[in-house]
Amino acid sequence: MATKTSNSTKTLYQSYVIEEYHLKKEPYYVPVGDEIQLFEAAYSQRIPVIFKGPTGVGKTRFVEYMSWKLGVNLTKVKKEEKPGEERQQDNLPLVTIACHEDLTASDLVGRYLLEGDRTVWIDGPLTRAVKAGGICYLDEVVEARKDTTVLIHPLTDHRRMLPVEKKGELIEAADGFLLVLSYNPGYQSALKDLKHSTRQRFVSIEFNPPPREIEAQIVSHEANIDIDMAMRLAQLGEKIRNLKEHGLGEGASTRLLIYAGKLMAAGIKPRRACQVAVNWSVTDDHSLQNSIEEVTASIFE
Amino acid sequence: MNNKRTTQLNKKLKTFPPDVKDEFTKAKPHLEEYLTQQQLYEWVDSGIKIASQSNNAWDISVNMFRVSPIIIGSLKPDDFMKWLEAGTNLAIKHPMLGTAFFSSSPSLVQGMSSTNITDWASLGAQLYKDTWKSGTLSNRFFESSADLLEQLSFEELTRFVSFLDIVAKHSYDLSSECLTLALRLFPLVGEDKGRFISLSLNLVETGWRQLKAFYDASLKALPRVDRLQRKRFLDLSERLHLEGIINMPNTILEISQALQLIEKRDHCKLLDIAEPLLDLHPSSFSEFIKSSPIVLAKVSFDKLDAWCEEGKTLLKTNPDGGMAFFKIESSRSEKFLEEISSAVEFQTISNVIELYCRALAGEEIDLADSRDLVEKNIGWVAADSPTTEGSTVYLPETVDRYSKKSENFLWYKVVSTHQVGRMEFGSFRFRFDKPSTRFENTRNSLELKSTEGTNSNISATTDIQKFFNFFEDRQLSSDIFSVIEDGRVDAKVKDDYKGISKGYVSIQLDALKVRPNTQDLNAREALLELLVQISLGQKKSISVPKNYKEEALAIVKIARHAMDSRSSVEDTSEATVRIYAILIEVSNETVDEDDWDPLDFEEDESEGDNFSDPEGLKETLDSMGNSAGDDPADTQEDKYNSPQEVDYRGEFKPELTQLLEKLREQGQYKDGGNDTDSITQEMMDQFAKNSVELSQELNDGASGITSDEIVENMLKEVGLKKPESLEGGQGPLVHVDETGGELESDEPETFVYDEWDFRAGDYKPRWCIVRQKYMAEGEDSYYGSIVQSYGNLILQVRRQFELLVPETMRKERRLQDGEDIDIDDVIETMIDIKSGSSPNEKMYWRRNKVHRDVAVVFLLDTSASTAEAIDDSKSNSDQWNAPEDPVEYMLWLRSRRGEGTKRTYKRIIDLEKEALILLINAIEAIGDTYGIYGFSGYGRENVEFYTIKDVDELFSDRVKRRIDRIAPLHATRMGPAIRHSTSKLESIDARTKLLFMISDGRPQDRGYSREGVEKEYAVHDTRMALDEAKNKGINTFCLTVDRNGHDYLKTMMSDMGYEVLDDIYTLPHRLLYLYRKLTT
Repeated sequence: MATKTSNSTKTLYQSYVIEEYHLKKEPYYVPVGDEIQLFEAAYSQRIPVIFKGPTGVGKTRFVEYMSWKLGVNLTKVKKEEKPGEERQQDNLPLVTIACHEDLTASDLVGRYLLEGDRTVWIDGPLTRAVKAGGICYLDEVVEARKDTTVLIHPLTDHRRMLPVEKKGELIEAADGFLLVLSYNPGYQSALKDLKHSTRQRFVSIEFNPPPREIEAQIVSHEANIDIDMAMRLAQLGEKIRNLKEHGLGEGASTRLLIYAGKLMAAGIKPRRACQVAVNWSVTDDHSLQNSIEEVTASIFE
Repeated sequence: MNNKRTTQLNKKLKTFPPDVKDEFTKAKPHLEEYLTQQQLYEWVDSGIKIASQSNNAWDISVNMFRVSPIIIGSLKPDDFMKWLEAGTNLAIKHPMLGTAFFSSSPSLVQGMSSTNITDWASLGAQLYKDTWKSGTLSNRFFESSADLLEQLSFEELTRFVSFLDIVAKHSYDLSSECLTLALRLFPLVGEDKGRFISLSLNLVETGWRQLKAFYDASLKALPRVDRLQRKRFLDLSERLHLEGIINMPNTILEISQALQLIEKRDHCKLLDIAEPLLDLHPSSFSEFIKSSPIVLAKVSFDKLDAWCEEGKTLLKTNPDGGMAFFKIESSRSEKFLEEISSAVEFQTISNVIELYCRALAGEEIDLADSRDLVEKNIGWVAADSPTTEGSTVYLPETVDRYSKKSENFLWYKVVSTHQVGRMEFGSFRFRFDKPSTRFENTRNSLELKSTEGTNSNISATTDIQKFFNFFEDRQLSSDIFSVIEDGRVDAKVKDDYKGISKGYVSIQLDALKVRPNTQDLNAREALLELLVQISLGQKKSISVPKNYKEEALAIVKIARHAMDSRSSVEDTSEATVRIYAILIEVSNETVDEDDWDPLDFEEDESEGDNFSDPEGLKETLDSMGNSAGDDPADTQEDKYNSPQEVDYRGEFKPELTQLLEKLREQGQYKDGGNDTDSITQEMMDQFAKNSVELSQELNDGASGITSDEIVENMLKEVGLKKPESLEGGQGPLVHVDETGGELESDEPETFVYDEWDFRAGDYKPRWCIVRQKYMAEGEDSYYGSIVQSYGNLILQVRRQFELLVPETMRKERRLQDGEDIDIDDVIETMIDIKSGSSPNEKMYWRRNKVHRDVAVVFLLDTSASTAEAIDDSKSNSDQWNAPEDPVEYMLWLRSRRGEGTKRTYKRIIDLEKEALILLINAIEAIGDTYGIYGFSGYGRENVEFYTIKDVDELFSDRVKRRIDRIAPLHATRMGPAIRHSTSKLESIDARTKLLFMISDGRPQDRGYSREGVEKEYAVHDTRMALDEAKNKGINTFCLTVDRNGHDYLKTMMSDMGYEVLDDIYTLPHRLLYLYRKLTT
């Protein structure tokens, strides 16, 4: 009965098993420096990577892009080596975990759940990534609780092991596994800095807002607006970033500029679009808002 | 003459000193011409009669005989006799009057009718009251009669005398002083002197004591008032007086001072607006006029009227509020003024524009008033035009060019965009060696030539200086460079900032409107003016001299090519070379009216990039280097004058700016010992000598400074030389009158706060200055000794507080959701299920994440009253009763404080300090953020705020030593201290914020707490300050040891927490208890 209905209805949403999620299309990414080569090198040597940089400069996009790119390469290599045996998995799985301040080790590793009258062990996302051999991306890692470092350390040195304390197991990471962290050194307080023992297990790639031309190119592509408008948005972004030391916690991210561009593409007047998408998003400070308002007014008609 | 009679008279005359006879003999022939024999006898008789009055009276006779010939010339014989009679009578009354009468007569009697003469005499007589003082008065009257009558009609004089008479009833001295002052006053009063006299008369009746002050004041005030309005002014003064204004003279003096600041022709309008106020509220009238210059500086007269109307409405409902409004001492007043004024002030926009500039330039740009730069005296002179020196944008103080606020603001914005544009687009980053992008490079060839030539001995400090050194006429080259560079920046701004370009263009057009007509200029100047107008986007045709049309076209072409958004500053320099080459050949002669031709250049617009150097450039350039041989005397050239400045661009001084920048760099690296590149004194002097940017002003000689001084100032500016007097300390405490205006914080570590005026129902803006300083440090043994004496208690308290901490770390069990399941709970649940009872689903645990996140500021009242002793034996208390009178009270306290060293009793402050030490111990145990401050002060300009421990400071021995020095000081102005603490707490990120005030009584200070209404004022202000804190999410608590505290604390704290401590000895315990309660 149940199977019948499920056959006749369309699935309303798309859901993935965590380790099977991979990107089907090539994500749009414009390299600013040599970050692609760096990451490729690090991956080939299985050196964990930290992405540093403010929000909205493309850290997550980059890891998606790399997982896609590496996945493609992987497939290619395998095909060449063993032409007869096709890999089940075409791409490198990407497990993204957004860290928050209540994220504990068991959230990552797994826990016992109740099912009927018995407890069942459920693997956490990290465990699943370790088993599946994909890239595990811990976004904003400093937000997580300190006990998570216990897991990170053995995974990131020569051991490449994940201890599952509650089950008394040690899981060896699959070949393709790589841990990637991201963090934003700017806004966290000194309290929430990464410990050196953690930091020094990674290589760091720094992300900064791209130069005006590249940023315009990105905005133009993502928001689907003409390059002239995108140039001006990039100019606005650049000007606002100049204010970073003057009460602005973080400059306008490329993401915000893209939002503004998207609003414009949808018919919102440029000044208004910048106001809602950029100005009001970067600050609540009234005088700062006024100044940014003036900058916007100078750049857009 | 009958001989017998004659001899008889002669004999009589001889009994007097010979002078009498002599004068008589001299006068007689003149009189004989006019008088009959009989009259002549009477004349002599009178003389004798006068002289025989007393021993010295002959002197009067002499006088009389002496003036008689003069008088007879202007009076009819009959009138003469009347005059004589009046004089004689006076002389008989009192010799002094006679003397005065006769000696002042000659200047007076002319043209007077006979009745007037007698009246005049009787006026004098009226003033004489048989006393010596009245005699003097009367005497003075006669002496000044001539002057008086020049001003007054006789009738008015009569009234004036009766006024003097009345005054004399009060005081003769006053009366005669009035007379003297009136002599100087009448010319000032204007036409209607009678009005003034009746005003004086009224004043005598109602308040004669003010009379002299009024006269004095009028004397100073009237010249300041428009002549036509003086009568009205006096009328208003009288009304003010009648309305019962205290100290009317002072008021009119103040009013006149305000009027002085306003154009005379506007006085009538102003008084028209102000007059109705008299009916409403007399004292608001004067306040309104006093404020009007300030208001008028911002708004026009119509708006002033609107402002006044607003004040009137307020006045009707709330007189105090209205008064504050007119004094511009209320926020409402300021706000309303701001609303109606179209002018934009630098102060109000500086924040927005500063950040705007920083955003555009991406550099640490500061914004400042143009006057600041001029005051620095480093070469800039125009105080009201915008400019920049590379790191700071200077803007004029106010802009009121347009009728709309938004337009004025736009002007500011355009101006600062232009100034920042100079920085952003590299006007000051000229590099000599950098090739230009849109022109062929000629600079290097110029350099080659000049090294061959004679100019090579001039050393250049900066690249731009090196460039200018090539030109013989530096002024011309610098002018060309400025115009083109400004034009380039404009083009760049318009291209890069599309949003502002519309406003930009409209301001350029406005600037064009005020440009001079080229036809009024000499040839070379006209061509330069052409250049300026092109840079401003002139579209209309411009007249150029017929003879130089070719040149003009070439200039336009070059300029257009350079003033492009794609150009760089090096292109500007190349264009300068070319245009200079053209212009130097143009002699600066006057051109006949007929020799002008309009130059249209619209069609050239589309020329685009096809730029090629005009033919013959090479030759002209070649000739430039050695033009020294040319004879300049062959034409009658006029001296060349720089074009008039474009107002929105302001001064442009690339040479000075580059030099300053270089100096700054040098200042930064001067420790590095990098000497190879450094600027020497000689180089500076060289610069000062050569640069036109400096010499321009020096030639004007307006400021009277030498170039040396400017060099000196520049060095100071970049910090290579320290200004001489750096250390001013806190300076002497300045007393600011309570009735004064707003205050400004002019020193570091001072903060200005508003104060709440409950009567006006509005804030008094910027009313108090809080001066923050660190408490001096004493011995740290004090801290130790207290800890020791409370040893047991401290241990106990510490333990109690430490118990607070673990609570926050505890695992919370039996939750529906959590970090993980608790295996014990799960088993229990399983058992429940198996046994068939309903299971408890709460089997998760979670760590309690309620952090203790407390920030607290302790505000300690260190007012003088805390020096009061705590009476051990209650019966003794009367002995320590403080005097009621505040002055005595202060004296009493001072003497008490003086005894400090031999003190055996405990004061309130001692207990406060002990409580504090206990508290520190406790808080340190739980790690809350806390700050401890003491406050005191006297007067609103001196609210002292002592830091004992700053909130972000760690506890240290210094804090211990500071505690030792906490001592009773002055008064208690709570409001500003609370506001300052609030601002401190505001900057801290904490979940629970607490402001804990420990005081010993009601708030009081000069002008804050005197009996009556001000007592309430203080309470209301404090309450408002606490309300403000509450609105900012800060809890407040007040602990007081004043046993009578309930009455005012009820109003002051209302729904906020407070506690009155009955037994002061419980303070330390209670404080700790309350702290624990309040923060958990």
